[in-house]
Amino acid sequence: MKTENKKIKKKSGKTLQTAREASYFAKKMLKNALQAQEEGRPIGWSMVTWWQGELIARAIGAELVFPENYGAFCAATGGAEKHLEISDSEGYPATLCGYARNSIGYAKLLSDNNFVPYEGAPGGGLAKPKFFLASGTACDARYKWFQALKRYFTEAPVWTVDLPMPGTKEFFYKGNKELGLKYIVDHLKDYVAFLENLLGTKLDYDRLNEIVDQTFKTLALAHEVDILRRAVPSPMVGSDFWSIMIPHLYLPEDPEAYEFYKKVYAEVKQRVDNKIGAIPNEKYRLMFAELPPWHSLGFFGELAEKFGMAIVIESWNYHAILPIPEEEFEGVTDPLEKVAMLTYYKWTEYNKVALEYNVDPGFFMAAYFQFAKDYKTDGLLAHPLMSCRPATYTLLHTKNTLENKLKIPGVVIDGDIIDLRVFNEKEAFSKMEAFVETMDHYREERKKAGIAW
Amino acid sequence: MKDINKKTGLARAKDIYNHRSKRARELKAEGKKVIGYFCCFPPVEIMTALDFLPLRLLGDMDEPITVADGYLPTVMCIFYRSTFDLGMKGRFDFIDGFIGAHACDGAERTSYIWSNYIKTPCNFFLDLPHVDKGEAVSYFKGQLNYLKETIEGLAGKKLDIESLKEAISLHNKQRQLVRELYYLRKPDPPLINGSEVLQVMISIMMIPAEEGNALIQEVIDEVKTRQDIPDKKNGRLLVWGSLIDNIKFTDLIESSGLNIIIEDTATGTRPFWHDIEETEDPLDGVARHYLQEVKCPRTFAETDTSYKEDLENRYSYLKDFAKYWKVNGVFGNIIRNCDIHGYEIPAVKDYLESLGLPVLIIEQDYSTASLEPLRTRFQAFAETIG
Ligand code: SF4
Ligand code: SF4
Repeated sequence: MKTENKKIKKKSGKTLQTAREASYFAKKMLKNALQAQEEGRPIGWSMVTWWQGELIARAIGAELVFPENYGAFCAATGGAEKHLEISDSEGYPATLCGYARNSIGYAKLLSDNNFVPYEGAPGGGLAKPKFFLASGTACDARYKWFQALKRYFTEAPVWTVDLPMPGTKEFFYKGNKELGLKYIVDHLKDYVAFLENLLGTKLDYDRLNEIVDQTFKTLALAHEVDILRRAVPSPMVGSDFWSIMIPHLYLPEDPEAYEFYKKVYAEVKQRVDNKIGAIPNEKYRLMFAELPPWHSLGFFGELAEKFGMAIVIESWNYHAILPIPEEEFEGVTDPLEKVAMLTYYKWTEYNKVALEYNVDPGFFMAAYFQFAKDYKTDGLLAHPLMSCRPATYTLLHTKNTLENKLKIPGVVIDGDIIDLRVFNEKEAFSKMEAFVETMDHYREERKKAGIAW
Repeated sequence: MKDINKKTGLARAKDIYNHRSKRARELKAEGKKVIGYFCCFPPVEIMTALDFLPLRLLGDMDEPITVADGYLPTVMCIFYRSTFDLGMKGRFDFIDGFIGAHACDGAERTSYIWSNYIKTPCNFFLDLPHVDKGEAVSYFKGQLNYLKETIEGLAGKKLDIESLKEAISLHNKQRQLVRELYYLRKPDPPLINGSEVLQVMISIMMIPAEEGNALIQEVIDEVKTRQDIPDKKNGRLLVWGSLIDNIKFTDLIESSGLNIIIEDTATGTRPFWHDIEETEDPLDGVARHYLQEVKCPRTFAETDTSYKEDLENRYSYLKDFAKYWKVNGVFGNIIRNCDIHGYEIPAVKDYLESLGLPVLIIEQDYSTASLEPLRTRFQAFAETIG
């Protein structure tokens, strides 16, 4: 086994050159928003809606900023504390999502300062929103939080794009998928009318079509990269992924994102072809669940160095959609319908796997069953986040069922998205040290049970 | 109808409240099937129409959570962690069907995890849109059809429209009776206290609708003529927020100088305040009712108005409650990690305080063991509003 990066970069843990270049897209998003502000174009504060709401907003000329990201940014740069204190003093419970509390505090400061970002606001601050694009998907915070923000931006409307989320078994009831898609399309028509009315301009459906097509292209390529990662040794690791996901999750319609993934693909492919591992002496292949401890990504470098552990695949929700079979698009010309398919298929793509293993829900947890096989993994590193709910709710359940049904053991290491001190690197490290034995044991168990890899 | 223990009215409500699954087990022994459901969104009318006993699944503030810790993380709503804990301990082992619901994160994720570990002959997950628009109602109606088909399988028969219409009338009657019961709290002091009302409310969620209706009627008749009415107190309280399902909590509040007058919660007014409209296809009325009329902040009402108008749109019913029942203070009850209500706090406070109503917000741990320290806060609140 050869390795390209003898020395894992301690701080970021990134091993790909392209991963190092990906920060360009984060900066680009910020720059676009600032430019929009200068040009007087409308700015929306948006949740990630798995492309359901963003593509349409952009097609009509709105620029989007993502307060969830801003939360991560503030936490990493030490600017969150002040915002959290304000949120608490406004009366919001301290148990709410950390990113939400951060943006509530920031919103209060912004409104008190006549909607000019305060001096020294992290990253220059977020500009005043013309509207909020909330989401009914994944967690309650994602619409309740923006609804709460109206208190500070009294005239900005809040729009919640909703997504059907039937149970796995129910999804397969005759006609239910179609019913769900119809709901989304009708709902998106309402959303378009809302935007047109608010912004005083008509949606250009040709432009939307272009955006949607480009998005599918970029996502397909990002998925190709995921497939390459099945190779042993793993050609890239979690720390690489956390950087390269930005363009496909946030800017998939940007042709530059597509060009970028071509480069990522080439770099990863070159490693696969030459059997080059991202880390030296890969011994254990791990899945990682939820967001990583951003400030301590070097931790993964340590795990690689000391134990030969590689994060070969991570949290399903941040990955590109699995390809939709061509025939599903037959006769589909309305871009709203394509958007509906994109988001709905993403959220239900592992329902078949959920049925196969008799586990629920199909989102957030079933993917790990497929990942375990496809990526030949030895364990799950679960990183529940104290103040981010959605995947955390199912992490223990995922860990239990993976152990029971596939003999893939899991280890739980607490962390948070805002209070970065929750992650105790030393303690985490000794837990991982002990986990080596557990993985060895389960390897034997899998052999005995005739479960491949 | 079988009269358990020959008790009537308030005494019977107390008995059912104390032995919540007793009647269900009795009926089950007689061959009736029981469906356990989460929160106030799975339509009980459909269950009643197919001869099931709908049984609301609740937690237990008296029971320490032990088993659930290995399945549901502590950042999740403690009420649902408790409910699941009871399920894992076999408290609901007699139910034939389980209906989970996408009411809130807690209900949704617990529904999934529940059906993985607690097996019942039949289960269904009811998806519920987050918005109340027309297209959402159509989708929801579709989900109700699937729910109906699923439990038809368990019932071994098809639902006929007439039975559904009858069940709707029966449950509408229950709604009307609940409102009548609440009207008895209008005088000062109220004719019935919060703990008694809670016992009735929990009871009617544990027994068939006809029995529930008879029970409420008995209670109304008894209360109208009773001599031992509650004492007059400083505070006439509106309770808003997460549900309360244990009288140790209401007793604590009411022994702190406050009378509970009305509860805008999932065990209070929410499932009962609006009647299901009669529609040609009864499922239309049912779908509209649950998605558009059950006033829970889990359903998002789109708004492009100003903040002030938005508050009016979301909470004007609270103003009506406060005026009609002449309340002079509001207790905002938040079960820890209940995001749905947590995000509402400053907004609901803004609104209520603009009406001149003082608001006490308490986040609590859904455990009777940790109630006593709250007493001083209620007492202080009672003094300030008196
Ligand atoms: S809880 Fe997590 S997913 Fe939900 S809004 Fe907060 S950061 Fe986003
Ligand atoms: S208390 Fe909140 S989170 Fe818990 S069940 Fe009620 S609405 Fe859901």
